[in-house]
Amino acid sequence: MHDRPRLLLVALLLASITLTALDAREGSPFDPLRRGVDAVLGPVDSAVGGAASAVGEAVSAVGDLADRDEFERLREENARLRRQLAEGEGDARAAEQLRSLLGQADELRLLPARVTAAGGALGFERTVTLDAGERDGVRPGQSVVSADGLVGRTVRVGPWTSTVLLVDDPEFGAGARLAGTGALGLARGAGPGRAEWTQVEPGPVAEGEVVVTSGSDTFAPGLAIGRVRSVRPTAGGLTRTAVVDVLADLGSLALVGIVLDEARSGPRQPLPTP
Amino acid sequence: MTAVGWAVGLLAVVAVVLQETVVERLPLPGAAPDLVLVVVVVVALLRGPRTGVVTGFAAGLLADLGSDHELGRLALVYVLAGFLAGLLEDDVRGSVVVPAVTGAVAATVAVLGYAAVGVLLDDPRTTGGALWRSLASVVPYCAALTPVVVPPVAAVLRRVDRRR
Repeated sequence: MHDRPRLLLVALLLASITLTALDAREGSPFDPLRRGVDAVLGPVDSAVGGAASAVGEAVSAVGDLADRDEFERLREENARLRRQLAEGEGDARAAEQLRSLLGQADELRLLPARVTAAGGALGFERTVTLDAGERDGVRPGQSVVSADGLVGRTVRVGPWTSTVLLVDDPEFGAGARLAGTGALGLARGAGPGRAEWTQVEPGPVAEGEVVVTSGSDTFAPGLAIGRVRSVRPTAGGLTRTAVVDVLADLGSLALVGIVLDEARSGPRQPLPTP
Repeated sequence: MTAVGWAVGLLAVVAVVLQETVVERLPLPGAAPDLVLVVVVVVALLRGPRTGVVTGFAAGLLADLGSDHELGRLALVYVLAGFLAGLLEDDVRGSVVVPAVTGAVAATVAVLGYAAVGVLLDDPRTTGGALWRSLASVVPYCAALTPVVVPPVAAVLRRVDRRR
């Protein structure tokens, strides 16, 4: 009788390790199980998380903002910030050219969603759950933005909810540019509120420069990721790296927008010769 | 399933939902406290290692399924925590020190165990910075939270006992 808990301990430890090993491979056999849990616990999270947010908002809210108004305000602010971002760096003509080069859409098709839960895994993971899912048109790999900039990308989508990998999670990576110089590079998550910029082409990196998405299958171009905080000294390396402060306030997200896929309808136009 | 089994299962589900919706979103410095770990520890303290490891496994799998890492990683460390806390099985309803110390030890073991598996899996999330941050925040938070969680969990388990 005294040995039974020890036996049980060993059995369950082995079971856990086996599950981890199986799940670590490509095409995990547990995806249907995760979907099932998302489908059942997702609405519960939405209800409890919604109630918890409502209490929090009731305490902190000064004005009485309806969801719609709040969303409109966020959208306007987003557009304004993006304009500012493109125009504020360098002279207006260069900014205009950069804008065209980035192929930046004037209007993003945004789906409003509320953050209902967050994932931490003992502090090693940075994810949030949104109350919009497959039925609302959300697909894995879509960009998520807030008024301040890029929040993350959808990684798992259930029927009613979706999980977002945040910009500062070390698993996160996105092709990016410096808004000022247009230099190409990669932005990777580096822990709470931080990202790392790796520039793959030669050129200077200055503190305070804004890092924006360069545009890819996943990310719409020109979404602000962060601002360069400090440049790492490199000794003869080909790439330059810098620490970036993420612009979006990932610690207190409430309402966000999911950028719905937008198929490009026509061929891209070349720039007019100056 | 026994009545205790149902009660423990319900506690695990409630803990996971509250962890994701409320605790992870609290504006606290560092990493969030782990309510699921704390509930596993309290159940183990009150009911011994057998119930402890089973609760840890069930709650861990549920937490794993809702997150973005490999299945079984939290289950592994919660099972360990449930066993260790179960070895100290005692009537801790009146005590603050025993639950607090057990919570701190369990959280330390859980964070280190989780990071160790991360290193084995070459997980980019397992960085030195993340490990120190988790140790510096999760451990004291769990130490503070464990004595608070003892009364409600004890009340649920006592209710089940009375009905039997």
